[in-house]
Amino acid sequence: MTWRLLHRWLGLVAGAVALLLGITGAILALDPVSSAWQAVPAANDLPVATLAQRVAANVPGMEEIRRLPEGDIVAWSFDGNQARASRIDPADGHVLGAYEDSALFRWVKNLHRSFLLDDPGRIAAAVVALTMLLLSISGLTLTARRLGGWRQLTARVRGSLLQRIHVVTGRVVVAVLLLSSITALYMSAVTFSLIPADADTEPDVISVDSTQPDLRAEQLPLLRSLQTGDLRRLSFPSPDDPEDVWQVETDQGAGWVDRRSGQTLAWEPIAMPQRVNDLVTLLHTGEGAWFWAVPLGLAGACIPLFWVTGLLMWWQTRRQTPRIADNAALSQADMLIFVASESGVTWGFAQALHQALTRNGHRVYAGGLEKFQTVAAARQIFILAATYGDGQAPAHATKALERIKNQPISATPVTVLGFGDRQFGTFCGYAEALDQALRERGWPQLLPLEKIHQQSPQEFARWGAALAQALNESLTLNYVPRLPPTTVLTLISRQQFPGAAGEPSVILRFQSTGLSRFEAGDLIGIIPPESPVPRYYSLACGWRDGFVEICVRKFPNGLCSTWLHTLQAGDTVSAFVRPNPEFALGGTRKPAVLIGAGTGVAPLAGFIRRNTRHAPMHLFYGIRDPAKDYYFGREIEEWLGDHRLSSLKTAFSRVPDGGGYVQDALQRDATHVRELLSGGAIVRVCGSRAMSQGVTRVLDEILAPLRLSVARLKADGRYAEDIF
Amino acid sequence: MFKFKPLVAATAAACALALPTLAHSRPVTLAATLNNYSGNGAYLAVYLTNAKGEYVSTLWVAGGKAKYYKHLADWNRLSANDAKRLNGVTGASVGAGRTLNVTADLADALIDAGYEIRIDAAVEKMRDSPSEVRVPLTKAGAGKAQPGKQYIQSLTYQIQ
Repeated sequence: MTWRLLHRWLGLVAGAVALLLGITGAILALDPVSSAWQAVPAANDLPVATLAQRVAANVPGMEEIRRLPEGDIVAWSFDGNQARASRIDPADGHVLGAYEDSALFRWVKNLHRSFLLDDPGRIAAAVVALTMLLLSISGLTLTARRLGGWRQLTARVRGSLLQRIHVVTGRVVVAVLLLSSITALYMSAVTFSLIPADADTEPDVISVDSTQPDLRAEQLPLLRSLQTGDLRRLSFPSPDDPEDVWQVETDQGAGWVDRRSGQTLAWEPIAMPQRVNDLVTLLHTGEGAWFWAVPLGLAGACIPLFWVTGLLMWWQTRRQTPRIADNAALSQADMLIFVASESGVTWGFAQALHQALTRNGHRVYAGGLEKFQTVAAARQIFILAATYGDGQAPAHATKALERIKNQPISATPVTVLGFGDRQFGTFCGYAEALDQALRERGWPQLLPLEKIHQQSPQEFARWGAALAQALNESLTLNYVPRLPPTTVLTLISRQQFPGAAGEPSVILRFQSTGLSRFEAGDLIGIIPPESPVPRYYSLACGWRDGFVEICVRKFPNGLCSTWLHTLQAGDTVSAFVRPNPEFALGGTRKPAVLIGAGTGVAPLAGFIRRNTRHAPMHLFYGIRDPAKDYYFGREIEEWLGDHRLSSLKTAFSRVPDGGGYVQDALQRDATHVRELLSGGAIVRVCGSRAMSQGVTRVLDEILAPLRLSVARLKADGRYAEDIF
Repeated sequence: MFKFKPLVAATAAACALALPTLAHSRPVTLAATLNNYSGNGAYLAVYLTNAKGEYVSTLWVAGGKAKYYKHLADWNRLSANDAKRLNGVTGASVGAGRTLNVTADLADALIDAGYEIRIDAAVEKMRDSPSEVRVPLTKAGAGKAQPGKQYIQSLTYQIQ
C-alpha cells in the first residue's frame, strides 16, 4: 500500500517535471545518433603523429586537435588574428568546413540539466532524478506484485488499456530509467564536487631551452605510438612560449612532450575516478555510442506516456469511488460512516446511508475505514465493511483492525454492517473480526452486527428499518446498484441436462453482438428482471468465438437461475462483462492442469475451445453421472481428437466404480500431475467450495515431494480458483 | 581595502590587494566584453603577473565550480601556491556577448613597472584559451581596447 501511495503521488506531482526531463532527454539522444550519421571518422589505428602532421600541413596556427565522441576530428587554430574551429577529414587533413556546436542542442541540454536556472535548477534536476529512481523502484515492485511475484515479471499483463500501456512499457524501459536516474545523480554529485571526477594536479613540466629547432608532430615518439581511435585531445605548443610543451590526452591517460627534444616528459595513466566518470557520462548521454543513445531516447520519450496514463488511471479510480455529496467535516459530524470496500460497491451503500441521514438533518461524515476515529460531536459511528477473499480486509483497510484496537474507547456506539456472500466459507469474515474486536474492547453498539448477502438492496433496506427504529427517526435507505452499461443479448440456443441430483442444468448460448471483448474465464453479469442485482456466470468461450456461452444449474428458489431456465431461443437478457484476469489464461502457452466439477467445467471448456495453438492442456473432470450431466461431453471428445485437449481424466461420483470425485482422479494420476507441475504447469480450478478444498488437499500431497504447495503456487501466480 | 561598486553590464564587482608596498593605491577598472561565440557561459580568470612573468595576484574569477579551474590552465598553474587566490573574488560565469566589469585597488608601484593583466578563458566543450589576452599595466595603455584571441572581443582598463 505504501509503495502504491508513494508511486502515485510522486508520479503525479514530480512526474509533471520529470516529463520535461524525459522530452529534453529524448531530444538530446538524437545528437549522438545524428552526429554518428554525419561523422567523418578517422581510422582507429591511424597514428596520432600522422594525423597531427596532416592537420598542421593544412591548418595554419594549429593549437588543438580534438576527437569528438562520434569520431569527428576538429582542429582549433589561431592564425594571428582569427580563432577558428574546423572539421577535418582525417584521411588527408583537409578542412571540411567550420565546426560549430549546435545551439539548439546546447539550449536543450541546459534546459535538461538545470531548467536554465543554473545551480538551483541543477539541484532541482537532481531531485527529479532521485524521484525517477524511486518511481522506477516502486513501479517495478508494484508490477511484480501485480503479476504475482518477481519470477512472474515477464507474465502477460491484464487489465484496462491504460494499465496495460503503463505496465508493459514500464516493464520494458524500467532498466534504462533506473540507469539514467542513477547516472544523473552521480553526475550531479560530480558537478557539486561531492564525488571527484579527475586528477587536480598536473605535472610541472617545461620544454628545455636550447638552440635546437622544434620537432614536427610526426617526429615525436609518443604521438607515433598513440592511435587516433583512443585520442581525446592534442594541444600543440604555443609559438609565443618557448617552454610550452605538447600535451595529449587519450582514453588511457595524459602525456607531455618536449617540443625540441621530443622526449616524453611525463605520462599519467587515467585515474579510476575519471574512468568511472567517463563510463557514467557515456551511459547517461550515449555520446560516442549511438546504439545506446537510441534506447536512452526511447526511455525518455516514454516518461510523458507514463505520466499521462498514470494521471488518467488515477482519475478513473477517483471517478469509480462514488462521491459523497455534502460530506461533513470529521470534527463537526454527529454521524460517522467508515467504509472498507474492495471494488467500490460498498461505497454505494455508504452513499445511500449518508443521504438518508443527511436528509434527517444530521451532519454526516463518510471516510475510508483506515481513517477510523471518533470525535467529540459524534453520536453514532457506522462501519460498512466488505470482505476480501477468505475473511481478509480490503486492500486499503489492511491496517484498520490494528488501528481500531489501539483507539481509546468512547461512549459513542459503533455499529458494524458486513457485506459478503454466503457461498463463501467465512461469510462476512472481516466484518465479524471488526465487530469482535470492538466488543472485546467494550465499545457500545446501537445495533448488533448484521450481514448483507450478495449486495442485496432488500436486506439493506431491512437493516435501515431497524436503524430507523433504534434512532427513533423515520429513515428510508434507497440503494441503487451502480452497474456498468449493459447490453441486450439474444438467446440462440439452449441445451438441457436433467442433472443427477434432481436439479436440471442448461447450457445457454447468446449472440455476443455489442459486448466488449472478453476471454474464457471472465464473468458475465446478468440482471434478472425482478432484481437490480446482477448474478455472475463464468464464460465458456472467448469473444473470438462469436457467441456467449454459460452453463447454469437451477438452484432451488434461485431467482436468476430459475428465470434463465425458462428462456427460449429469441428471448433476451441484459448483461455486461466483468473481467476476471486472475483466472483467465491471458494467452499463456504454458502447460495447464484444468480441474473442474459439474457446471464448473464451463470456463475450462472455454480455455480448451480457444486453445487453437495447441498448448498442452490436461482436463480433470468430475461429474455425477455421464448419462445425466456430462456438460460439453461431445465437444470435449472433439477437442481430444484435434489436440486442443491433450488428456482427459474423468470421475463419476454417482456411478458404481465411476472413480469417485475429481480429486480422486488427480490422486490416481499423481505421477503425471507432479511431472506437469514440476515442469512449470499452471493450474485452474473451478467448482464448488467443497470440491476446491478436496483438490487442494490432494494437490498438496502430490506437491510435497517437490517442496511445493498450493499456497506456493498461488503466491507465484500459477494457481487460480473460480469458486461458487 | 576591499571596495564594491554596483556595475552595469553584467556580473561582477571586484577588488584586489595592493602590492608590493603600503604606498598609495588607486582604483583600476577593467571591462572585458565577450564576443558572440556559440557556447555556454565562459569561465574567466583575471590576474596580474610581474615583469618576470611571475604570478602576483588574482583580481577576479568568473565561474563557481572549482573542478573546471584546470581549464584556466596558466592561471591555475601560476597561482597554485596562492591559498587565498579565490578570497572574495569569485562570481558567475560570463555569457557570450556580455561584459565582465572588475574594479581593483592597485598600488601605484604596480603601474608602468612591467606588470601585466592577463585573462585565461575556457568554455564548455570548446577550446581552452589560457592567456586569452595579456595587456601591460601602463598609464599610456589605459582606455585602449585590446582584443583577445578567441572569446574576448575587447579588454579595456581605466586608471583613476
